[in-house]
Amino acid sequence: MWENVKLGPEAFDLSGKRALVVGAGSSVGRAIALALSEAGADVTVTSTTPRASEALAVKRLARQIAITGPRREPHSLDASLATAVQVMVRQVVKDMGSLDILVTAPDLFLGKAAEKTSDAEWGRIINANLSSVFYACRAAGREMIKQGWGRIINVASAMGERGLANSAAYCAAKAGVMNLTRALAQEWGPHGVTVNCIAPGWLEDSPGLGEPDPQANRLIRFIPMRRPGHADEVAPLALYLASEACGYVNGQTFFVDGGLLCHL
Amino acid sequence: MYREKLELKDRVAIVTGAGRGLGRQMALALAMAGADIVAAARSQDQIEGTAREVEGLGRRALAVRTDVRDSAAVDKLIESCLQEFGRLDIMLSNAGIGDAITQGKELWDVSDDEWHDALEVNLSGTFYCARAAARHMVQQRRGVIINVGSGTALRGYTANFAYAAAKAGVIALTKSLALLLVRHNVRVNCIIPGFVVQSPPADPQAVDFIRERGRYMPVQRLGEAWELGPLAIFLASDASSYVTGQGFIIDGGGLAGGYAPVGFAPEVRMA
Repeated sequence: MWENVKLGPEAFDLSGKRALVVGAGSSVGRAIALALSEAGADVTVTSTTPRASEALAVKRLARQIAITGPRREPHSLDASLATAVQVMVRQVVKDMGSLDILVTAPDLFLGKAAEKTSDAEWGRIINANLSSVFYACRAAGREMIKQGWGRIINVASAMGERGLANSAAYCAAKAGVMNLTRALAQEWGPHGVTVNCIAPGWLEDSPGLGEPDPQANRLIRFIPMRRPGHADEVAPLALYLASEACGYVNGQTFFVDGGLLCHL
Repeated sequence: MYREKLELKDRVAIVTGAGRGLGRQMALALAMAGADIVAAARSQDQIEGTAREVEGLGRRALAVRTDVRDSAAVDKLIESCLQEFGRLDIMLSNAGIGDAITQGKELWDVSDDEWHDALEVNLSGTFYCARAAARHMVQQRRGVIINVGSGTALRGYTANFAYAAAKAGVIALTKSLALLLVRHNVRVNCIIPGFVVQSPPADPQAVDFIRERGRYMPVQRLGEAWELGPLAIFLASDASSYVTGQGFIIDGGGLAGGYAPVGFAPEVRMA
């Protein structure tokens, strides 16, 4: 290399790239999908759970993306079902012509004491937040390995790095995403496919912060920046990780957390 | 919107170790994003070269010969920057020395001087730069400090364990500085490079050497200095407004692995 490389802010330009955002109904997934589109990528978005509100949010987002970018049909699916994911990815590749960038950002939270969590609840959280990511990576990875180039960005959570009460299943799932990222990075790095992870800390719509909560003020004082982050503050990192210029970044988890993880 | 966030127009950056390699590339990248640059290093020729390149990009530049081991010189570096530009927004502490000084040596043969040298340049120099820059950034109520660690800090490194220890110090220092400065609207982060080639290989032998070494990386190649540029822009700009106290590893996937040699992929049936 050294020649013909984009060095300045141009490095973040994604013109000509085809991207799929699985879980664009989450605030971070939505912000990343919009940023990818703004950076010039052709973007398809999907939901990840059968929730009607999520499917509706994704449909609205697809319309918004189509104002400035190519119009792509949004996909409503339950991403915890492997076949549904495989079929969707195949359709997306057929429609867009190829797949260069995959973002996974499922986000299903359960705040409940571990001893009261049922088998079904555990299974649902693990499947929605972790299995779905594996299914999406596997399906997209098959395409990316074939073309010898790909960027996969999984959105986990700082909860995958630190434990939180009443969140055992979610913490375990998000930690799983981080180590899935490391494993896939080892396996697919030689094929030109990098796999990285973004782990946001507390965001404005995080559990306990979205609506008035007596504990919210205490939590905000705990964050070194004294404020929750906004999804728009997470998206630029995804652009960097999706770019040609970050080909030497692989297997890493990057925290966007207002300094949270520096706490003793 | 993202494009404006990456913009560094009207901002001033000091880059230490800016004469060559990673420092030079990061200085040029920041200039491409619109920043004016103070290039600091020990070698006057080299920083003047970088300064001329920055000017070639249409930005203002100043070369200030500095040895970061000397805290008075570092204070003077910040003064020169303020005198010339009237502000300081980005302190990129890249100066460091990582020569393989403990390679092939027994532990007890490493001298006090070798140990102290590594700590002085790599750790104390980073502290001096952060301290001097923070004084001004706190008044300005805005600033970004970017330190440069090393992947060697996160595992054992026999070729220069003093360097690895010093860089581990830089990563730890980054986290404390982030907490100390967060209320002043100053963010502190750390770039952690793995094996990165400093400049284009000069001859076919060097090309072969780099290719051979690259096989030990999950991405099957070594990094190149220019690849640090976009990461420096990201961390220096408002694109990373909610990021502080973090280390950003850019190492081809090496540190995410390390459980077995690259390429080792067991195929075992479930019992």
